Amino acid sequence: MAASGVEKPRIVITGLGGICALGTDVSAIWEAMRAGRSAIGPITTTPLHELKVACGAEIARMPDHGIEHKRLMAMDRFSLLAVIAAREAAAQAGLSLDADASARAGAVIGSGVCGWEMIEDNYRGILLEGRPRANIFSVPRGMTGAPSGQVSMDLGLRGPVFSVTSACASGNHAIASAADQIALGRADVMLASGTEAPLIWGILKGWEAMRVLAKDTCRPFSADREGLVIGEGAGVVVLERLEHALARGATILAEYAGCGLSADATDIVAPTVEGPAAAMAGCLADARLAPEDIDYINAHGTGTRMNDEIETRAIRLVFGDAADKLSVSSTKSMHGHCLGATAALEMIACVKAVTDGIVPPTANHRVPDPACDLDVTPNVARVREVRAAISNAFAFGGTNATVAVKAYRSQ
Amino acid sequence: MSDELAATIIGKIKTHAAPEAGEITLDTRLDELGIHSLELTEIVFELEDEFGIEIETNAIDAWSSLSNVGDLVEAVRGLVGTRA
Repeated sequence: MAASGVEKPRIVITGLGGICALGTDVSAIWEAMRAGRSAIGPITTTPLHELKVACGAEIARMPDHGIEHKRLMAMDRFSLLAVIAAREAAAQAGLSLDADASARAGAVIGSGVCGWEMIEDNYRGILLEGRPRANIFSVPRGMTGAPSGQVSMDLGLRGPVFSVTSACASGNHAIASAADQIALGRADVMLASGTEAPLIWGILKGWEAMRVLAKDTCRPFSADREGLVIGEGAGVVVLERLEHALARGATILAEYAGCGLSADATDIVAPTVEGPAAAMAGCLADARLAPEDIDYINAHGTGTRMNDEIETRAIRLVFGDAADKLSVSSTKSMHGHCLGATAALEMIACVKAVTDGIVPPTANHRVPDPACDLDVTPNVARVREVRAAISNAFAFGGTNATVAVKAYRSQ
Repeated sequence: MSDELAATIIGKIKTHAAPEAGEITLDTRLDELGIHSLELTEIVFELEDEFGIEIETNAIDAWSSLSNVGDLVEAVRGLVGTRA
């Protein structure tokens, strides 16, 4: 539902940050995406014990972040990833926050799970090794809100700071909610992010039980797709009120155009066509864009049989004839499904597609599927003008969020 | 005798301190160890186990009045003495 008649402030994107299996900063991530290079492979950084699943999209080596020991001890991996990506985004945006400005700057961070490293360590330590106590950092490291608090401390953000959660749509709900803080006049600058570090035995064991994981790699929209591959990472966009960005001479990368939020209200895992379609249609209405204005859809594209087929139908339902003119891809084929972080990483793909005029491909695609008959940009990036792009995120729980960005024009 | 307790406590602290913390003595300030206040409490919990003492207080406020390693040693010594 568009809030017609309400004049909303224009919101622009002035910074990006990211870390995932594809690279530890945005330029490395984008370079890999453009090249269609999948980072999915054997998991090596975490003990898998007797797990059958052995592939994932892991950050094989962390960058030299220089965060002091005292602060590091209080962070689970999902917080650390968020802080690393937030620093990059804030640096690109050129934010310098004095006391006044910091009260008008905040962060909304999405995570679908929580900080599981310490939880895992506690269960193993207490139940298997007879340790008497849980680690003292269990609560501050594990809580789902930890990354937003850690990012605020690291960057000195004193405005609205909180976390949101909606499983695999968390990143897009975070972006939408961060934009709302600016639209409601509560902040001038908001970091919007998703972060997740789920490559841990306990979490993978749960996913394994659902039998939705691919054995070798993720092949969205390919007829021989077998399922999803879990990845880890964090993505951050700096959202800013246009006048604020112009007044401080910031470089504007793209414009946040709007969002559409919906729920299937049917089943905790099985998706519908109508829910995702409502999110996409709502996003177009909120962004005041027509179907033919969209050149690129970064699909939810998990690589499960059901998602990719249903998403194709939902796109056709909303876009009609325009569906055959736009480019679609699933970058999960390269960075894996990073759960609560995934939409934030996919927003990097959308912003870069708009700024660089390049649609990143769907990697690992082998066999066209008549049930997924859109232009899914198989394996090779496509050079084309991208005036506007949408990013889909459809989560377990039937919670759907689509976000639109468009090229920035001064008028 | 006092040195034995001090050495045990300093040994525990060393396993938690930041790699760059350097030499630790009784005069080393706790805020120079590069240890989070909660982690300091964890060290105290380990000492509880080792010496069979129990500290009835909440973890976050417990040791806010201590400023250096010597203060920590004396606090533990006091509790050990009480138990005895």
